Amino acid sequence: MKTLVVTPLPVILGVLLLLSPACSRKAVQSGGDTRALQEEMARGGAKGGASSSFPDTSLSGKDETSSLRGFDRNPLEERLGGGGHNGNGTVTPGNTLMAKSDPGGAARQLAEIRAEQTASAAAGLRDVFFAYDSFSITDEGRHALANDAEWIKSNPQAQLKIEGHCDERGTSAYNLVLGEKRAKAVRNYLVELGVVPQHLSVVSYGKERPFCTEHGEHCYSMNRRGHLVVKVGK
Amino acid sequence: MTLRTLVIAGFCALVGLVWIIESGAADVFLEAARPDFQKIPLAIAGIENLGGTESPEGRVKLGSRIEEVLKTDVRRSLVFALVDVNGLGIKAGQLGAEPDPSFKHAVGNGVSVVVWGRAGIKSGNKDSDVNMDGYVYDAGNNEVVGGKRYVGSTSVVRLMAHRFADELVFRYTGEPGIARTKIAYVSELGSARELFIMDYDGYDPRQLTADGFLNLMPRWSPDRRFLVFTTYRNRNTQDIDLLELATGKRWTLVSQGGLNITPALSPDGNFLAYSSSSEGNAELYRMDTHTKAVQRLTTNAGGDLSPSWAPSGRELAFTSDRSGGPQVFLISADGSNVRRLTFEGDYNAAPAWSPRGNWIAYVCRTPRKEYKLCLITPDGQKRVQLTTGPGVDDSPSWSPDGRHIVFSSTADGKSHIYMINTDGKDLERITFTGTHNSAPTWSPAS
Repeated sequence: MKTLVVTPLPVILGVLLLLSPACSRKAVQSGGDTRALQEEMARGGAKGGASSSFPDTSLSGKDETSSLRGFDRNPLEERLGGGGHNGNGTVTPGNTLMAKSDPGGAARQLAEIRAEQTASAAAGLRDVFFAYDSFSITDEGRHALANDAEWIKSNPQAQLKIEGHCDERGTSAYNLVLGEKRAKAVRNYLVELGVVPQHLSVVSYGKERPFCTEHGEHCYSMNRRGHLVVKVGK
Repeated sequence: MTLRTLVIAGFCALVGLVWIIESGAADVFLEAARPDFQKIPLAIAGIENLGGTESPEGRVKLGSRIEEVLKTDVRRSLVFALVDVNGLGIKAGQLGAEPDPSFKHAVGNGVSVVVWGRAGIKSGNKDSDVNMDGYVYDAGNNEVVGGKRYVGSTSVVRLMAHRFADELVFRYTGEPGIARTKIAYVSELGSARELFIMDYDGYDPRQLTADGFLNLMPRWSPDRRFLVFTTYRNRNTQDIDLLELATGKRWTLVSQGGLNITPALSPDGNFLAYSSSSEGNAELYRMDTHTKAVQRLTTNAGGDLSPSWAPSGRELAFTSDRSGGPQVFLISADGSNVRRLTFEGDYNAAPAWSPRGNWIAYVCRTPRKEYKLCLITPDGQKRVQLTTGPGVDDSPSWSPDGRHIVFSSTADGKSHIYMINTDGKDLERITFTGTHNSAPTWSPAS
């Protein structure tokens, strides 16, 4: 190994220059995953984005010099804050505004959540509970969903929302993915039981809307759930 | 296999080996953790009180407050070692713009830099402006480096100290410092989660949204003007929104079915990477922020999420459960060259690439099933567990100087926001109010 390190640098660099394209090409071709991706992109992986136009978020064309001016033997007076945006992007007190929110939006949300809770309780819908790290539906879960499927079939006008929830362990981000897997597992089983898929929608709340906020398995097991809700409003 | 392929493969392995040997050298250590890193000894002789208190009913004098904030900033810079002035023989009060002869004593005591100044409301009228004068003496050169004069309302007193601290860091390192940076985060209000912003030291929290439902996982634009985040439209579908801090204006960047989570703008701001399950399971996408064209980066049966850009903008780290539990992977920005980075443990997620490029912080599940922070080099050769003990740690985000990590933890029961040095020292909690503070994200420096 010692000899490798002391090999004259120009020789290594020279051979590296000659062969490096081959190395990198080899690396790209070796992954089956990469090949599938390239095929996907060749089939037209690019598509139109969101329709609304939004502001330029790039750094290009902006003054990137620091807003710091350095110490001076005869320092000039610098006025701080309160003057709105100072041109170099510094967020100072007085120029951070609350985003415009829908007036009464929070109250409307709360009213709709209560209406959904009332409708779901009246329907006698049962939730499904999951094991740690798991999105497999247990025997108990199948039992609950058999009950739920009967209700949906006899109430064909109803739209059902399946919320996927997780306990507080793990990352916020990955729990959103796990919550979606749980919600989709519930949906798929209901469809197996003969429920029309158009009556079902799924949403993941991850660990962001827990039913119970204590730390401990009693609480965790309450929060790992597929929660069935009768949709109210949009 | 042809002879040529064999030769090339062999040579590639050889080059790789040399590279691995070299990457063991000291320069992969974090700068502040390097054994040869010498902090600059700095003494704050005092910020003299000229009159006035922080608030009409407050008892803390303005000069004392600025001195306290400045000391904390200097300590957290990790560029300076704050020297206790007691016993140094330095004159601490009634100082003008010229260095006191007593400062020369400091050299003998190993001090390199002496800072002093004065601050307050001169007229005694409580509606008048606060003035701060601060000076810097370099003991090594035996000269006054210079000073700063700040003026503003009592609401910018902490900012005066922060600016002065950043000027010190800038003078001695050429870097802008972190004392004026901000941390955006999510806080619980009732059953809703809204976006907030605060100073890097946890002061001056400000509420940014009031939607009454869930706003999650904010990330900064590189120019610090915007946040991107996930918001729930009508509680049933997820959008990715852009929020302008100076105006409060909002735009919707991504609006489609399924999960639309973990947005992250590239270091040049030209691309938005995010995860969406609109075409089935969670995959990574990249939107050109100028043309709005969207390119899908991943294609597999597992969930792909949490993209974090390398400072070069050429690669991303992300979470994928394609091999079972979640693990950290790397991918080129065009979707090529996907490879797994973490192999230790069965749960590794939420990667955050350091601004200097040499480490990736992430959440690792320990053998005791605790969710802690780990660091790994992008070549996978070095791995360190950064935090220990009880509580779920989540959402690591680097300071722009690469010397600190901010994260959320339930170590004290409720979820709060903490800061830690990248060498594992100086763990500090920075939020003390609220029932659930999470998803902190550190702003770029200015």
